[in-house]
Amino acid sequence: MTTPSHRGAEVAPDPGDRGLFVYAVVPSDLEPPEDLHGLDDAPLALVRHGRIAAVVSDMALVRPPGRRADLTAYTQVVETLASAGPVAPVQFGAVALGEELLNEDLLAPAENDLAAVLETLRGRVQYNLRASYVEDVVLAEVVSADPTIRALRERTRLVPDDAARADKLRLGELVTAALEDKGAADAGMVLDTVLPLVEEHVVRPSSPENPLDVALLVAEDRQDEFVDRLEELAEVVHERMRLRLVGPLPGYDFTGGTAWAS
Amino acid sequence: MTVQTSSRSGGGYLTRPAPSGLADVLEIILDKGIVIDAYVRVSLVGIELLTIDARIVIASVDTYLRFAEATNRLDLYEHGGKDLGEMVGDLQSSGASGKVEGVVSGVKKAIGRGDEDDDDDDDSGERRPRKKATSSRRRAESR
Repeated sequence: MTTPSHRGAEVAPDPGDRGLFVYAVVPSDLEPPEDLHGLDDAPLALVRHGRIAAVVSDMALVRPPGRRADLTAYTQVVETLASAGPVAPVQFGAVALGEELLNEDLLAPAENDLAAVLETLRGRVQYNLRASYVEDVVLAEVVSADPTIRALRERTRLVPDDAARADKLRLGELVTAALEDKGAADAGMVLDTVLPLVEEHVVRPSSPENPLDVALLVAEDRQDEFVDRLEELAEVVHERMRLRLVGPLPGYDFTGGTAWAS
Repeated sequence: MTVQTSSRSGGGYLTRPAPSGLADVLEIILDKGIVIDAYVRVSLVGIELLTIDARIVIASVDTYLRFAEATNRLDLYEHGGKDLGEMVGDLQSSGASGKVEGVVSGVKKAIGRGDEDDDDDDDSGERRPRKKATSSRRRAESR
């Protein structure tokens, strides 16, 4: 591997120019496993500044874009590091033009903030939880609860697809609104159940079909209790709503913003 | 930090997939993490297109028509439309019989399809987002 060149960002890269792919920020005392490699199978290095360090690997600046293997390598590095201690992932695709610039642009100005983020993440893992409706069941609830929807349904269900378009649009609009109302209530119910076991959370946009999509930061020693609680809830609601849990994951959603500013 | 592939002992109603396809990984990492302003970004044109499509929250005429049709297809005699309270009551009185099959398996199909064996491909070209015409009832679950 060649030494990364130190160039200003305004200089267009030439073939042969090198950069540093940045994976994550970790505590400066972390040593990455020697057998862990990054994009293009390059060895990992640490750029340290005070209490924090960036995990990087050397890469050519001019290379084929966005390959799936790159994503896989990135997630592998972040997940492996996370198994050893707190890790604040850097958004995929960030490439620094040398160690000095990385220090100037990120590590020096953000040392305090990122050190605080790492403390927030220490001993905690992320789970992504999504609730999805069992559509026919929930639609039946909507129909039985609303006489207007019921009447529109009766008026439109036996006519050809392209007929009664205005009535069908009105029906769909009412059903969508009813699903959103229902979704807000169900999302609140799920959150009320799990948030007592969660340290931080970030709610993502929902949809009529998926009333809740949320990233949850959970203490490692409460994971079993958290999963058990969700398992119980999933059993209670399963006829009309499915719960899908992905994790444990590194804290991708908890590297800044509300998670550490609050 | 390997993702668990199976549920813990318990009811098994909670779906716990192991993220494996490109779409799963994108859902987890895209737009996440520390952003370093003005840094060179590895070009991800193809991946971005894919994901923008997946993120569309349908709120349009198409959605309304889809829900109208789904509502019209309902067999209300088969599905009683119980509310949560009734269901809890049912579970308590009858025990939780019959596990649910076919958990949300369609979630990733929409955008994950065909991504499993092309590790070395440049994703910018051939991987087009799904066309609007292919909207299906599963589409919105993919965002």
